[in-house]
Amino acid sequence: MVPQPTGAHVPDPPGTQAPMGEREFTRWLKARLAEFLGRPAEDIDPRTPFAEYGLDSVAALSLYGDIEDEFALFLEPTVAWDHPTVEALARCLAEEYASRGGRPDPDTPAEV
Amino acid sequence: MLTPTEGTGHTEGTGHTEGTGRTADTGAEEELRIQYRIADLERRFGDPVDPDNPLGIDALLAADERGELLAEAEDVLADFQLNAEFVPRRWGGRLDRVDTMGRVLRAVFRRDASLGLGYGATSFLAAVAVWAAGTQEQQRRVAELLLGGGRLAIAYHELAHGNDFVRNEFRATEEPGGGFRLDGVKQVINNVVRAEALVLFCRTDDAAGSRSHSVLLAEKDRLPEGRLRYLPRYATVGVRGCQNAGIEFTDCPVAGDALVGELGDGVELALRSFQITRSVVPSMILGGGDTALRTAVSFALNRQLYNRSVLEIPHARATLVGAFTDLLICDCLALAATRAVHLLPAETSVYAAAVKYLLPKLLTDTTYDLSVVLGANFYVRGGEYGAFQKHVRDLPMISLGHAGTAACQATIIPQLPRLARAAWFTGPPAPDGLFRIRDPLPPLDPGLLELVATSDGLACSLAGAAEELAGDGGSGLSARTGEYGEALVALAGELEAELRGLQEECAAMPAKDRTVLASPRSYAAADRYALLLAAAACLGVWRNQGAGQGTGPGAGQGADRAADPHGARAGFLASPVWPAVALTRLAKRLGRPLPKLPAGWEEHLLDEVLSRYHEARSYDLYDTPLAG
Repeated sequence: MVPQPTGAHVPDPPGTQAPMGEREFTRWLKARLAEFLGRPAEDIDPRTPFAEYGLDSVAALSLYGDIEDEFALFLEPTVAWDHPTVEALARCLAEEYASRGGRPDPDTPAEV
Repeated sequence: MLTPTEGTGHTEGTGHTEGTGRTADTGAEEELRIQYRIADLERRFGDPVDPDNPLGIDALLAADERGELLAEAEDVLADFQLNAEFVPRRWGGRLDRVDTMGRVLRAVFRRDASLGLGYGATSFLAAVAVWAAGTQEQQRRVAELLLGGGRLAIAYHELAHGNDFVRNEFRATEEPGGGFRLDGVKQVINNVVRAEALVLFCRTDDAAGSRSHSVLLAEKDRLPEGRLRYLPRYATVGVRGCQNAGIEFTDCPVAGDALVGELGDGVELALRSFQITRSVVPSMILGGGDTALRTAVSFALNRQLYNRSVLEIPHARATLVGAFTDLLICDCLALAATRAVHLLPAETSVYAAAVKYLLPKLLTDTTYDLSVVLGANFYVRGGEYGAFQKHVRDLPMISLGHAGTAACQATIIPQLPRLARAAWFTGPPAPDGLFRIRDPLPPLDPGLLELVATSDGLACSLAGAAEELAGDGGSGLSARTGEYGEALVALAGELEAELRGLQEECAAMPAKDRTVLASPRSYAAADRYALLLAAAACLGVWRNQGAGQGTGPGAGQGADRAADPHGARAGFLASPVWPAVALTRLAKRLGRPLPKLPAGWEEHLLDEVLSRYHEARSYDLYDTPLAG
């Protein structure tokens, strides 16, 4: 069940980016969700479930791919179902990121 | 009491398995068993157009007019133990291959879609969640129910929410002492009254989201009196014999062991189950397409207009040939999707949605074209050609049931950007086994199905196809193209270019276009993608015909030949004519430039259409002998 890296998109090496914490992930997720929903990022409440914004189950599944491409965090496709708000998902991503010491290794995808 | 058998489930005869292994021998035996089963079913039903056949079209049309399933036909299916097709072999049934299920059920659907759905397929749609996630006890009970001739109803959708079933309100409230209480209404549930058990999609959490629903198996004989009532039956335009009604539960307790899978896993389980059902139902309904074409051929041969038969009218001939080609295209895609469940389970989520989207659409278009040939006879509800209008009414109903067009597109669209960026033109092509129509398959394991596809072997098989056809790949394929070589190379090149264009467009698809708010452009992208998959499937099937195969584990092609009772006819699928015409039709839908085909292609295909009519053999890849 662990999605394998496809290798086509090579993310920036983590060292070249600012360290990612909950706040950074929140900002990124709000921007991403805003794109999904076609509304300003300021309007996204971090505690409102994605589904209440009209993000359907299948579209929510595609978020994990964005996360993988952007941060080389290899998570389950259902990560946005299990952490269904910006706040919850940002926390999950920050923990994943930290547990990898900011050095994700594409050869050993994390168990979620 | 049933107990599961060990291993991959071969329990009969000498067809035992060793290690991973199905030898070429068991492959041939397996194919013979399948052919025997289909022949048996055909024989029991008899010639559909024989007016004296109590199970013929006349009787089925009359039952349809009455809004009933033909009781005698249900008896035949009970006697044949059709339900065993839906029960895994390890539980005593005959289910081990999804492609085979589609093939066997075509014999039913070509006579009556209501029967195919109402007697059988509905039970499978319900049971698949139990096979995927049920406990041993739940699987045993469902197997016993079905093998005993019982029925299972599937109650996922609610009328108000359609395919947005995450909004469903039917509630199962957890009890403090264990178990659940059911409250709510489910409408338009096939067989809800006569089914002994229901597979229910229930809200188990008030929160919005994809972890708020669960699947429950409710067995009616374990429910207390007076807690459920049935709502009036819905009259429908098509599949009139199906008994679609509503059911209302009021404060109805069910035990905790009714839960299928984990609490909150309902959406995930549905999406996983749908991959199997969306793959196989389109394959089944090809039987209806067969009847539509067969009816039109009969009309064209027998009807005299302007002092000649309709068949002599060029437009009629072109339409019949086009319809036959469409049926082959549909079967190639159905083959790839059903075999992908076994061979490419990580990719099936898109293939299943693509076949469920495209196949009914192609069949609908084809049927419309054929209706022009029938002229005024299209509107006649009885008699010799009455089966045609029934098919026209039934087809959209089957297509809508359990996943409408838009729902399938909504499954494909969000996956396209990632496939475009990371899979197309980079991943390996699909294995040959995906396209080998009679080869054995690894066991069905719903646990291997992924919710999101990260690779796409079928689309990748288009990459480099033109070079291979031109003879640059060293595969020897160019030797089989004959005078169609130029056209096939050109078509393969067009399709590859189309995939490149689609790749660019999808890689740049805005996030908004992945949601239900997607622009019409995204829907068009999903349509193009499905057509490209169909083209890849056609090429794959053709490539795997004839010489040069039979190697690799489990291939069994030589044995397959031996198992084919009409092996002399294997030449039709190996010839380059049908793939050239099929790809031309698909390229036309895609708006690509079309090469000129050598003269004689239409006559070649028309000959095949007519000989399959006169010799009663199926209008699909299998060329199956039919009754009558």
